[in-house]
Amino acid sequence: MQRCFSWGLCCALAAALPQAAFAQERTTLGGYGELHYTNLTGPNTPGVVNLARFVAYLAHTFDERLTFRSELEVENAKVEGGQPGGEVSLEQAYLDYRLADWLTLRTGLVLPPVGIINETHEPPTFNGVDRPGFDTDVIPTTWREIGVGAVGTIPGGSGLAYRVYLVNGLRADGFSASQGIREGRQEGREASFANPSFTGRLEWARPGWKIGGSFWYGGTANADSVLGTGSFAAPITLVSADVRYDAGGASFRGEVANISVSDAGAIDARYGAIVGSRIAGGYVEGAYDVLRLLAPSSPVKLNAFVRHERYDTQASVPAGVTRDRSLARRLTTLGLTYEPTWNTAFKGDYQIVRNAAGVGEHEVLSLGVGYQF
Amino acid sequence: MALALALLLLAAQNPAAPPAKVAASIARVFGPGARIDTLRVDSEPVLRVSRADSLLGFAQVGNVLGKDQPITFLVAIDPADRLKDVDILVYREPYGGEVAYEPWRRQFRGKTAADSLRVGREIRSISGATISVHAVTLGVRRLLADLTAWHQRGAIR
Repeated sequence: MQRCFSWGLCCALAAALPQAAFAQERTTLGGYGELHYTNLTGPNTPGVVNLARFVAYLAHTFDERLTFRSELEVENAKVEGGQPGGEVSLEQAYLDYRLADWLTLRTGLVLPPVGIINETHEPPTFNGVDRPGFDTDVIPTTWREIGVGAVGTIPGGSGLAYRVYLVNGLRADGFSASQGIREGRQEGREASFANPSFTGRLEWARPGWKIGGSFWYGGTANADSVLGTGSFAAPITLVSADVRYDAGGASFRGEVANISVSDAGAIDARYGAIVGSRIAGGYVEGAYDVLRLLAPSSPVKLNAFVRHERYDTQASVPAGVTRDRSLARRLTTLGLTYEPTWNTAFKGDYQIVRNAAGVGEHEVLSLGVGYQF
Repeated sequence: MALALALLLLAAQNPAAPPAKVAASIARVFGPGARIDTLRVDSEPVLRVSRADSLLGFAQVGNVLGKDQPITFLVAIDPADRLKDVDILVYREPYGGEVAYEPWRRQFRGKTAADSLRVGREIRSISGATISVHAVTLGVRRLLADLTAWHQRGAIR
């Protein structure tokens, strides 16, 4: 009887559900992009305008559980044979198989879930025309590698979510003094799987809050006879933490990261670069929506922000190497972000670029437009 | 390991039926043992929730599009047209699932169709879930307005 009642109730409720939501194959288009104007101080540095990114988002839903998602990017507007600059690349391309809220299996070209910007990189989501220098030189955004993994939320109202992946490793032959591990990324292009690597993230959310911690661990030797042929030869260990908080018109965010390059000495000897044995740094940023004061009922935002970054790609160096103190960078960025809608942004900022050696210090004026849909 | 995987795949072939989710959601919001009738307004299904002879409220299931997936949610109001609760029935996006967290949904309780519900003002956002936050807030505003209007003109009673 009980069973009958439940079944009847379910049928009645089934009639109450909109049908559109379920199990129809469909394709979704989206995108984001950003246009930059940058002008460095100093003689002979004319302003530069650049269509920095144009990204087309394409997703296809096969059924209630299986979805493909991708981002195809054109950087700097144009790619031409024999000419420097410009890039066409896949930023992401993966299949998700959703088993439950707490478990989605994922495979493809994925974004290592490290820091704030790597996964959430659409221009209206961050202040400043360009991404933070920290998210270029320390955490190498947009970082993507091929692998398999699992993502989900931890049930029970904990507010916790996780992502873990097994992906191809970095390659030590791309490491450099000024950009650390950045050019060691393989980005899905005939990538060597000599050094499978692990990466993951745990994050906690509440309205107004998000706090996360991330890691990456894996070898980088790429079966090089000098560095080692083991799966975890010449390993790097990255740990990072980040926080985002907003209340009223104020918002705050910060990120820190530490990367240990265990065999930096051997890597430097093998490839001639002087990659630090420790790469570390972070930033803090505060912003306030000044339109809260001027036009309290307006949905439009005008964020005034200041960000201070400190990072060093040679925080430590192998024995016998002299640190290049110009790599200990300090960037202060002051600017405005005007958001007529939550997914469009007009930006302007002034960046003061300093370093511990006092070499090549300068300022940069930037203007930009960004969108996502 | 193999057994766990087999169980998972089995679970995948028998996903929890959404009607059961709606029933569970109504029970959570209005308490167990409530009677549910399906009414129709302009062919839109509305759930009427009662216990014995007293009306507990109304609920409606809606969908909004997140980045590329529909987010299936439920809005429940009490007989005075105050929002009782919002529930996320099925969330399919890879990022933004924080809208299902109780501390976020809680912000809607007690609101009426006359109240302003704006992201970043009355409804605090969650970083990394911006698209879902905007989509669900818009969806809640619509269903709350519909349910209130229908109730006030006697289309549901």
